[in-house]
Amino acid sequence: MTILINQDTRVLVQGITGSVGAFQTKIMLEYGTKLVAGVTPSKGGTLFEGIPVFNDVEKAVAETAPNAAICFVPAKFARDAALEVIQTAIPLLVLTTEGVPEKDMLEILAYARIKGTRIVGPDTPGIISPGVSKLGVHPGLMYQKGTVGLVSKSGALSYEVGRVMTAAGIGQTTVVGIGGGPVWGSTQREMVGLFYDDPETQAVVLLGEVGGRMELDAAEFIRTHPGKPVIAMIVGRSAPEGAQMGHAGAIIEGHKGTAQGKIEALKAAGTYIATKPREIPDLLREVGIKA
Amino acid sequence: MRLLEYQAKRIFQKFGIPVPKATLIRDLADLEQLHYPQILKAQVLAGGRGKAGAIKVANDASSAAEITQNLLDMRVKKEKVHAVLAEQKQDVRQEYYLSLMIDKASAAPLFMTSASGGMDIEEVSRKEPDKILKMPIDPLLGLQSFETRKLAFFLGISAKELTPFVQALFEIYRTYDASLIEINPLARTDLGLLALDAKLVLDEKARFRHETLFAELEEEQNNVGSDDLDPCQKLAKEWDITYVPLTGDLGLVSDGAGTGMLTLDLIEDCGGSAANFCELGGLANADRMEKSLKILALNPKIKTVMVSLIGGLTRMDDMAEGIINFARDNPDRFKLAVRMCGTKAVKGRAMLEELCIKSGEDLVTEVTRAVKLAREAAA
Repeated sequence: MTILINQDTRVLVQGITGSVGAFQTKIMLEYGTKLVAGVTPSKGGTLFEGIPVFNDVEKAVAETAPNAAICFVPAKFARDAALEVIQTAIPLLVLTTEGVPEKDMLEILAYARIKGTRIVGPDTPGIISPGVSKLGVHPGLMYQKGTVGLVSKSGALSYEVGRVMTAAGIGQTTVVGIGGGPVWGSTQREMVGLFYDDPETQAVVLLGEVGGRMELDAAEFIRTHPGKPVIAMIVGRSAPEGAQMGHAGAIIEGHKGTAQGKIEALKAAGTYIATKPREIPDLLREVGIKA
Repeated sequence: MRLLEYQAKRIFQKFGIPVPKATLIRDLADLEQLHYPQILKAQVLAGGRGKAGAIKVANDASSAAEITQNLLDMRVKKEKVHAVLAEQKQDVRQEYYLSLMIDKASAAPLFMTSASGGMDIEEVSRKEPDKILKMPIDPLLGLQSFETRKLAFFLGISAKELTPFVQALFEIYRTYDASLIEINPLARTDLGLLALDAKLVLDEKARFRHETLFAELEEEQNNVGSDDLDPCQKLAKEWDITYVPLTGDLGLVSDGAGTGMLTLDLIEDCGGSAANFCELGGLANADRMEKSLKILALNPKIKTVMVSLIGGLTRMDDMAEGIINFARDNPDRFKLAVRMCGTKAVKGRAMLEELCIKSGEDLVTEVTRAVKLAREAAA
């Protein structure tokens, strides 16, 4: 099985006719994702790649019954777009947008809690269940179907590790990019929990980075909930304090956000630590994952 | 964006938060008009000014002139002093702490308050957590009266007296997308409660809502000489490319933050020393690739560059084009080690091959090669 998405996931695309949205929609279609509706205000009534486009989310939901949405709307309009999806109580929203103001994110997440919508993101590459469906921008060629769950903040790092695993013949149940922060709709800890509950996932790979304390929360969860083997890699070991390392959330403020602190906590929780991607398939084999 | 104290206090006043009578000293002659004693405070973005000796008391105009000159000449944690703010010295009977910040863990605006003000709040939090009240506010409901009362009771101040401060902080957050507003200390003086210091950080991501304000604040910071950026940082800022200066001699460009940090770690693991961190983001094109190499070219220490590309969203033929455009115009500027895989990597690598630029698919192999090239260049 997979987590968050499966072959029955029916997807609504916000910003389907924008440059990024249009490009990624075509790739998702080719991958086999069931895209049932698009929304672009003022383009309602048209078709994009055979997908009906609507002026508003409510109408799209009434006519096409999506159970997930992906947002490609620019940061300026992302709050409005996300709130519109959440209002219809669609259970999953992948927010790919980078640079959403923090105040907007707080409001989006608060409303999502009330309506029961899970947000993945912001600034996320999304979710891919190899060979089944993908809701995001993960390049399909980096992955293959298998038994390992992969969760990462960074998109590029998940491609990097997915590629090395796939080359070693080890596939993935689902790959979730939770995004670059600095505020997150879904956490590493929650994703580890979902992978624990998925009967097909036999091991979890957790990719983290400097900044914040999310990896520490995940470590605490793993320590108190021994379940499946977890392999962890934390990047930014050599990042200087106070510098913003590309992601909004990747900034070391005081000792607690350092890679070392996170690695220590994860090690103490019983996870296996990798320092480079190539060690990950080796460690997976060690815990009994077969190619 | 972090504001200077006097800029933050200007916004405080606009929202009704009382501050001491103050003068921004632009000319030493301005000191003649003041009533002494005065507190003279170096205006810098760095914290910990007191410990750094950047806040002094002057008892008369002549000592004030000397102190001001010393402050203007000093550097606080490497930062140039932008200006000096002179404030009427207050008799302080009690110091409190009051702040509002965007709390990532609770995903809410979070008030923090303590009757132990004037100290490093993180230290109070570590040693005596009971002395701090932390209170998240519902982002959708906003600040409620009962919450303000809770803060007041905790401090032992009347709600009537504290309410304007608490409301003002919340309004500043709402109006200007502030991610941190801090009054430390909030002081009990003969004039009532006053914000003696002010810290204010605005969310860069919300710049589009406050274009004019951001531009004004930045211009002011530049005018008083905050510009400590090196040439690489300046150009990177202009071109909106992520660039962090480091101390080594091996240049680094990557097409993602995660891969970039990984490459940086591997460089150190291989015994190399990176000169910078630079990432193009997921939607890089040939132009941005070329620009990033132009940025690195401004650092004379860099003779070798590691280009680390994963090719998830970026097309490797585009990246190759950017590298080639730079290499054609600057044939001998760098030795390059290029890691290239993913989308259109075969084509990209063939394009590089034509210009005799070596590339490989494996990250560790290329990093090892880059570190070796840098070592040879240094020898």
